[in-house]
Amino acid sequence: MTMKSNLSHQKGAGRGDILLGLVGLFLLYLLYDSGFFTAEAWADFNRRFYQNFVKDSRYMMLVDGLKATVFMTSGATVIGVIVGLILSVIRVAYKGGVPIPILNKFAEAYISVLRGTPAMVQLLIWNFTIFASARDLNTQYIAILAFGLNSGAYVAEIFRGGIESIDPGQMEAARSLGLSYGSSMRHVILPQALRNVVPMLFNEFIALLKETSIAGYIGIDDLTRAGQNIQALTLEHSQPLVMVAIIYLIIVLFLTHLVRKLENWLSRGKRG
Amino acid sequence: MKKLLAVTLIISSLLIIASSSFADESPKLRSIDQLKNERLAAQRGTVGQFIAEDMLGDNKGRLLTTYEKYVDAIAALRQGKVRAVVMDEMPAKRFLNDVEGLAIMDKALSEENYAIGFRKGNKELVEAVNKALAEIKADGTLNAIFEKYYGTFLAGDSSTIKPEDIDFNKGAKGGKLVVGTEAGFAPYELRVGSGYIGIDVEMCAAIAKKLDRELVIENMNFDALPMAVSTNKVDMICAGITVTDERKENMDFSENYVVGAKQVAVVRADDYEK
Repeated sequence: MTMKSNLSHQKGAGRGDILLGLVGLFLLYLLYDSGFFTAEAWADFNRRFYQNFVKDSRYMMLVDGLKATVFMTSGATVIGVIVGLILSVIRVAYKGGVPIPILNKFAEAYISVLRGTPAMVQLLIWNFTIFASARDLNTQYIAILAFGLNSGAYVAEIFRGGIESIDPGQMEAARSLGLSYGSSMRHVILPQALRNVVPMLFNEFIALLKETSIAGYIGIDDLTRAGQNIQALTLEHSQPLVMVAIIYLIIVLFLTHLVRKLENWLSRGKRG
Repeated sequence: MKKLLAVTLIISSLLIIASSSFADESPKLRSIDQLKNERLAAQRGTVGQFIAEDMLGDNKGRLLTTYEKYVDAIAALRQGKVRAVVMDEMPAKRFLNDVEGLAIMDKALSEENYAIGFRKGNKELVEAVNKALAEIKADGTLNAIFEKYYGTFLAGDSSTIKPEDIDFNKGAKGGKLVVGTEAGFAPYELRVGSGYIGIDVEMCAAIAKKLDRELVIENMNFDALPMAVSTNKVDMICAGITVTDERKENMDFSENYVVGAKQVAVVRADDYEK
C-alpha cells in the first residue's frame, strides 16, 4: 500500500494528467461555445449567486448545514469504531478458540443485517419505529446512532481483515511468553492491526460523511438539505446543488490528503 | 494541480449539463386533455401525483415522474424532461413570479380543501385545534394571515416577512405543540435562514397560542409526514395537506382552513397556446 501511494506521489505531469487537462480544456471550450462567458451570462450568474448565497446571509444556511453534517459524521465515527472493534475482536477471538459461541453468533447476525440493508431504510426505522416515541430527543442523536451502528458493521470487517493479516506467529509468540489471550490481543496484535487498517478506516469515514446526506429524510437540515432549502427559497436549481457538491468535495479531498500523510507517517520505522 | 483540474472538469461538466436543453418538436399544448398522453411530473405523495396518475391511467408508469421537491419538478419541466407539472395553484404562482418562462394552464384540474392532519384517534387534540381554528377564523386572525401572504408575498416582496417576527409562544405552560411540515411550499411554509415563515406556520403559531403551547416545527420530506404523525413523532402535520378519502382512512383531519385550492398544470410558456 505504501509503495503504491509513493509512486502516485511522483512530481511532474504524467500521461493521465495531460489527458485530464485536455478533457478539461475541451469542456471549457464547450462552456465558451454555449455562451457561458458572455457578459450577460456572467451578470446573470452573479445575480443568482448573490440571491442564493449572499442576500440575507443565506450562506449561513450552508454553514449550519455543514455543522450538522460534521457533527453527525464525527459522532457516528466514534460509535462506529467502538462497535466495530468490539465485534471484530469477538469474531477473531471465537475463531482463535475463546469459547463465546453466542456472542459470535450475535456479531455475525449484526454484521449481516446491518450490511445487508440500506442505510436509508435503517435510518427511517430508527427514527420512526424504534425511537417513535422519543420526541424531546434531538433527531441528530438518532441519526448519529443509526449511522454509527451501520458503520460499525463495516468497520468490524475492516478490523477483522486487519487482525487476520497479522502473522499467527505473533500471537503464538506472545502466548508462549506467558501473556493471556486478552493481553496478547491488546498489546501485540491490535497495535499492529490498527496501523494496517487506518487508511481503510479513513475511507469508511469519507463514505460515512457522504452517507449522512440522507439525514434530510428524518428532518435534519444537514448540508444537502441546506442546499435544498436554499433551492426552495430562491427557486434556483443548479447553483445551490453545485455549491453543496463543491463543499463535500473540498472536505473529502482534504481528508484524503490527511490519509496520505497519515499513511506515510505510519509507515515510518516499519520493516520490510 | 491534478485535483484542480479534476475539480474544474466536474464543475464545467455539471454546468454544461445544466445549461443544455432538449428540443421539443411536438405541437404546442392547448388544452388540459392533451396532457393525458404527455410526460408529467409531481411532488411525491402530493395530491398532484394522484391527479396525474388518474389522468394518465395505465400509462402512469411510463409517463409520470415524481420528485422529492417541487424545485426539482420545475427544473425537469424547464429542461424539457416533462411537459407539465401538476401542483397547487398558490405555490405555482410563486414559481411564475420568480422563474422565467413558465405558464399556468387556464383550466384547473380539480379543487381541493386543506386541513391539518392528526394521528388516527387523537380526538382530544383534534377538538382543541378545531376550537382554536374556529376562534382565529372568527376574530379575523386567519384572514389577516392569508391577505399578508397572498398580497405581499406573492407580489414578490418576501423580504418584509421575517421569521423572527412570528411568535412561537416560547416557554408556554402547556408544553410543546410539535408540527410536522415540508418547508418548500411557499406561501404556505418556507425555511428562511434558521427559521420558518408561511401561512401554515403563522396559523399554527396562532393555534399554539390559543392552546397555551409552544410551537415547534419539524421540517421533513412531504412523503414522510403521514408516517411522522401516525408514529407520534409530531402532534400534527400542517403542510397544505389536501383532505382525501384515502388519507382519511389513516389520519384524522381538522376542519378545512383552505377551501377550493386549485390543482393546476404548470407548463413552459413557449409550449402553451391559449
